[in-house]
Amino acid sequence: MTLQGFGLGLRPQHFPEILGDDPNAADGVDWFEIISENFIGVGGPPLHNMMAVRERFPMVMHGVSLSIGSTDPLDGNYLKGLKELADLVEPELISDHLCWTGVHGLNMHDLLPLPLTEESAEHVATRVMRVQDVLGRRFMLENTSTYVTFEEDEMTEWEFLSEICRRADCDILLDVNNIYVSGFNHGFSMEAYLDGVPTDRVKQIHLAGHEHNGDYIVDTHDEPVPDYVLDLYAKAVKRFGHVPTMIERDANIPPFAELVRELKGVRLIAERELDMVPA
Amino acid sequence: MSASLADLQSMFQDRLLRADDAIDPHLANGGPFMKAYDHAYRARLIEILTEDFEGLHLLLGDEQFFKMLGEYVDAHPSTTRSVRWLGRYLPDWLKNSENWGKHPELASMAAFEWMLGLAFDAADARLVGVETMTRVPPEAWPMLTFTFHPSLHTATLDFDVSAFYRAAKAGVDPDGPPIPYDATVTWAAWRHPEDLIVMYRFMEKDEAMALDAAQKGITFDGICEIVAGHTDADEAAVRAAGLMKGWVDSGWLIGIDAEGMSW
Repeated sequence: MTLQGFGLGLRPQHFPEILGDDPNAADGVDWFEIISENFIGVGGPPLHNMMAVRERFPMVMHGVSLSIGSTDPLDGNYLKGLKELADLVEPELISDHLCWTGVHGLNMHDLLPLPLTEESAEHVATRVMRVQDVLGRRFMLENTSTYVTFEEDEMTEWEFLSEICRRADCDILLDVNNIYVSGFNHGFSMEAYLDGVPTDRVKQIHLAGHEHNGDYIVDTHDEPVPDYVLDLYAKAVKRFGHVPTMIERDANIPPFAELVRELKGVRLIAERELDMVPA
Repeated sequence: MSASLADLQSMFQDRLLRADDAIDPHLANGGPFMKAYDHAYRARLIEILTEDFEGLHLLLGDEQFFKMLGEYVDAHPSTTRSVRWLGRYLPDWLKNSENWGKHPELASMAAFEWMLGLAFDAADARLVGVETMTRVPPEAWPMLTFTFHPSLHTATLDFDVSAFYRAAKAGVDPDGPPIPYDATVTWAAWRHPEDLIVMYRFMEKDEAMALDAAQKGITFDGICEIVAGHTDADEAAVRAAGLMKGWVDSGWLIGIDAEGMSW
């Protein structure tokens, strides 16, 4: 089965509505995305509720601490846990970020920026191949929001992302909000980014809100998706066609119905751009 | 002055951990927005810990609580993939801290809350039922060893913090501060097998010692000896068997074994 339609990030606050008595509560939500780390090696209510949602909806897995770009060795225990979770959940797609999260055995729990160099590209591509081997599944890398770039950079971020995915033969989770945030922070063309990413590798799209500080933007996922990010999403839909798309909300989390309404707005944009007939 | 990926990552991490400025010449345009990373590191970790230690937060108040967490984060940078485990050293760190250790109720509260958190989302496992115990032949009992559900955790406390904790969770004013014990008391927390809610209670001294021994693989015979130190020798086996039945009824046991046999 190929993932289709529009999804939401699964958050514990919404379990009562999703699993409650109202069978229409999640109308318009075609699938959910889980944060992998929240369910690796755990049981009890978190796992029980997540699997109850899984019984009713397709699911994708999204990680935050694979640290694919770190010069520390890949964490074998983490990969083992990730594989066990994937074997349980049977996700349609599985992803993590094109970043690093720590070195020397430490974890900063942040998505830290990589220098955009040949050395980094080769390092990451080699590790993605290993991850795909261990998981026995295709893997997606997501572009992150960044707040600095490096003097050492040798290429654009979209060249970096595309080259890694070509070498590793992996797919792309394209975060349109992150393109906006990084484009604003570093002054690159967001449209050039979209045009520079290979259409055949983009298998999922993320949308989110952020904190605009005037001279720079921080990717906070604590607000609705702003209109100017939705405008960029419309351009992405034109280029990539219909790609499974979801809203991430990680803070200041509203009632479930509010996110469902927001997701319907995203669906309308995609239908408008693709001239699709509403279901 | 091009730096390798490994060197850039070391310098970048040193900036987050120690405000080291070696990374600065490598940041394009001087890295005007580096502050976004500087700020996020401590803020994120403290936010996670705040969710895990509501009782401690109420005990200390905002100012002291966040001061304490800042010191803890500096002392124990995360080494795990999930933020779930950030607070695992907090009880011992508080106990051994020159400053915070002067207030032993803090370590008791942290240990209590950490225990409850572990019970909440520990891995699932299939339980042993009472009927299983009845299948064990009498001659096998002395050599029995026991395996416990992953959700069962214990904490040995200097203070009774339970009422204060419940007030903090309920968002109401506590009736009073945590109450010091004359001697330490061990509490157990576990997940109810059907409802999946976290249960907790304190244990009498002999039960705490018996449980500790059983968790370390001591046989039923050895557990009886421990219990005998607290009761009439003739009643030790009855008391130990009663403890076992209580553990089974509570959903604590997942395995009963003896010399290669399992029930």
